[in-house]
Amino acid sequence: MHRRDFLQAFGSATALAPLVVAGLLSPGAALAVSFNRAAFDAKTAADALRLIGAASAEASRDILLKAPEVAENGAAVPIEVVSSIPGTTRLSVLIDKNPLPLALQFNFAPEAAARFQAKLRMAESSRLRVVAMAGGKHYTVFREVKVTVGGCGD
Amino acid sequence: MSEPTKIRATVKGSDGEVRILIPHVMESGLRRDPSGQLLAAHYITSLILSLNGRPVIESALGTAVSANPLFAFQLQGIKVGDKLSVAWLDSKGQKGGAEASFSAA
Repeated sequence: MHRRDFLQAFGSATALAPLVVAGLLSPGAALAVSFNRAAFDAKTAADALRLIGAASAEASRDILLKAPEVAENGAAVPIEVVSSIPGTTRLSVLIDKNPLPLALQFNFAPEAAARFQAKLRMAESSRLRVVAMAGGKHYTVFREVKVTVGGCGD
Repeated sequence: MSEPTKIRATVKGSDGEVRILIPHVMESGLRRDPSGQLLAAHYITSLILSLNGRPVIESALGTAVSANPLFAFQLQGIKVGDKLSVAWLDSKGQKGGAEASFSAA
């Protein structure tokens, strides 16, 4: 979906924002498993994978990773991830060749489907990796994405 | 961060579709200005979605999330009128968020 459509469709329906913020952001208060923030500072995908506990993740066909084969604009590469692995509680995305490969992690409560869409910055053509955690085990899938204009540097 | 966080929350059957747009610079700390100076990092580090006051999706974000991030999620067992709130925190300690009720798709 284009950002313009979103803005047109929803206008300024939600101006009541600041009220909800206060109590919600105490770290670790929400769902059971907390994040290892150090993994976001890792400079290689291997280090990031190790720090999120997924160094020995098993390849899986049950994770869908939709991403363009060729991304013209590395500043906003749209991806969609859907895990069909039962009991998926966390999804993580890594971009191997970014200066800081770990892009994001989501934890899902049972009310939330283990799926999301997001837009990511890619510095250059790279392997894009998703790791799903389910029942304490890690599963992974990857795709190569070619980037014509990088989105991290100048 | 003057523009508010926007949420669209719609229900189809019992599935709730959520779209979130957060106007934010998401500066990675890796870019340089025209004079060659590094631009200071300023990006959203965490985002929490709550359903009727209970956290259901919690996230940690890094510098690879695009500027003005747009996210889509799906929640299950949703009824029209259920309340969704979004709260975020960035690397400079600034906070933002929004609240919406699920409406029929």
